[in-house]
Amino acid sequence: MQVGSSRKAAAIAASLLLLASGAAIAPLAAQESVAAQRTLTPGKGADLTMARCSICHDITHVTRTRLSRGEWEYNVKNMIERGMPIAPGEIPVVVDYLAAYYNRDTAAPPPDPAAGAVVAGEDPVQRLLLNHACTACHATEQKIVGPSFTEVATRYAGDGAAAAKLAAKIKSGGAGTWGAVPMPPNPGLSDAELQQMVGWILSRK
Amino acid sequence: MSRKPDLLAQQPSRSKLTRRDFLTRYAGAGALAVAGGAALPRELWAQAGAPAAVDPAGTVANSAVMAAKVPDMKLHSERPLTASVPAELHNFDVTPSDRMFVRNNLLTPDLDAGKLRLTVKGLVDRELTFTLDELRKSFQVVTTQAMVECAGSGRMAFTPRPSGTPWLVTGGMGCPKWSGVRLRDVLRAAGVKSNAVHVSGQGGDFGVIPTAAPVIRSIPLSKAMEEHTLIVFGMNGEPLPKVHGYPLRLIVPGWVGSASTKWLHTLTVLDAPFKGTYMESSYRIPKYAVQPGAKMPPDAVITEAWPVKSMITYPAPDAVFKLGRPMLVQGRAWVGEGAIDKVELSFNEGVNWQRAMINSGGDKYAWRIFSVEYVPKSPGYTTVLARATDDRGGVQPIVSEWNPLGYFWNGLHRVGFMVEA
Repeated sequence: MQVGSSRKAAAIAASLLLLASGAAIAPLAAQESVAAQRTLTPGKGADLTMARCSICHDITHVTRTRLSRGEWEYNVKNMIERGMPIAPGEIPVVVDYLAAYYNRDTAAPPPDPAAGAVVAGEDPVQRLLLNHACTACHATEQKIVGPSFTEVATRYAGDGAAAAKLAAKIKSGGAGTWGAVPMPPNPGLSDAELQQMVGWILSRK
Repeated sequence: MSRKPDLLAQQPSRSKLTRRDFLTRYAGAGALAVAGGAALPRELWAQAGAPAAVDPAGTVANSAVMAAKVPDMKLHSERPLTASVPAELHNFDVTPSDRMFVRNNLLTPDLDAGKLRLTVKGLVDRELTFTLDELRKSFQVVTTQAMVECAGSGRMAFTPRPSGTPWLVTGGMGCPKWSGVRLRDVLRAAGVKSNAVHVSGQGGDFGVIPTAAPVIRSIPLSKAMEEHTLIVFGMNGEPLPKVHGYPLRLIVPGWVGSASTKWLHTLTVLDAPFKGTYMESSYRIPKYAVQPGAKMPPDAVITEAWPVKSMITYPAPDAVFKLGRPMLVQGRAWVGEGAIDKVELSFNEGVNWQRAMINSGGDKYAWRIFSVEYVPKSPGYTTVLARATDDRGGVQPIVSEWNPLGYFWNGLHRVGFMVEA
């Protein structure tokens, strides 16, 4: 028997089993805890995948899904067409992560929390931006939900008080200076971290 | 059955909204949710005096949408909002608005009917613009009961499971009464040029980010000129609910739901199918069946009319009946184009089939109600299968052909129930 026909036969058999189990079929998602559905397995590319995919949709669309690598490639291409902001170099990181941890054909590698910040690497500012979820709404060049860091730097160019204003805004949150969506505050940031972050942002112009 | 995820069950209040809630609602959890990160902020962000988070300006909150639905409606995803009720909650002649499925691609826009302008442009002799009132007064207003079904309805029945909204085996469809004007009347008023081939609809929905592609779909001119294809402002005798397209939407009956553009503001007459991601990458199926689990082949085609389909609306799964006491098994059958010719039921896993009664009449694109009186003759777990046949030779398969995006599930619906002695 050819591989194709046996797979198809298996699919039909599985569907019939599914029929035989009764009409009310518990979704895969219902079998997993809500918490598990809302987080990605830690691993190389997980943070970037979370940051990019969850701008527009629940991450449950990923966590309850197992696809072949080819299907993930098609999906990511599709999402880019639908407007996902992503740098060209980030695309293979996201595809590789999804194809590794959410693959229907191969077992997922063990969770790897240490490999989380693959894009940020060891750059302390990038790690801060990623760990405080800044990059879910802000990119360096492109407007996502909030303005790009370059736009921010340009707006504050020549303003001597810019660093203090920006630090205060990051710490206490904004009321929607740039648009309808307000920015949440980050009271957990230390002054040193704020200074580092603001210095980097203002040098983007 | 837990029907609503925690976010809806407990609406974040001014003092309790966490940063995580904020990000989940507006921009996703970002890096926050990556487990194992020691630096993850977990503090409450909105203390007294901080700005209360609001839904993005100009949108309707999911909680408001779901408040207008029956409590049994199952939420499939919050962003984008998708929800439906299964077959046993569809045992109505006309789908009540509070049971109509929800499928957004983007956010639910909160539009002002007074500000609506419908523009007809492209390959027309005269570009036209209408207010809602002008539309009502300029053209004959008609009402028709018609099927709308998401292309992915039934997706959970495919094995292996394709990507996309996890629609239950039944329920990503409905058959309400729609009121509006005929699309063809409006197109004729504008004067369709001879090289016209497709008509696209664009709605006023938008995403959380400005780069989100607009949801634009187009349909062949022949379907656009069909008398039941409508520009609709009413659903079941009321103005369209906001989530169902208020103030104006297309109804392309019998076809995949995405063709029925919600929040319609622009119709464009084109000399080819619209080129855009919602035509060229989504809502497509392989021209020839592929191996289950394969990726989309290059020769895929756009989804249009639904194939013949049926579902059993009574009894509900696992209902209990008395031996020898007659019961009326009921269901609904429909097909995207054409008519239902017959529906057969089997009470012994497809060994024997018997014809069901089908109600006659009804609107062209409305579902047909079928029923069979059944007298349980032996105790124990009993199943019923339904199989519909249309007037063009289409018959429901046991299992539908697998396709990468999980569209057009029309495999046999099966319900099991208990018979007690």
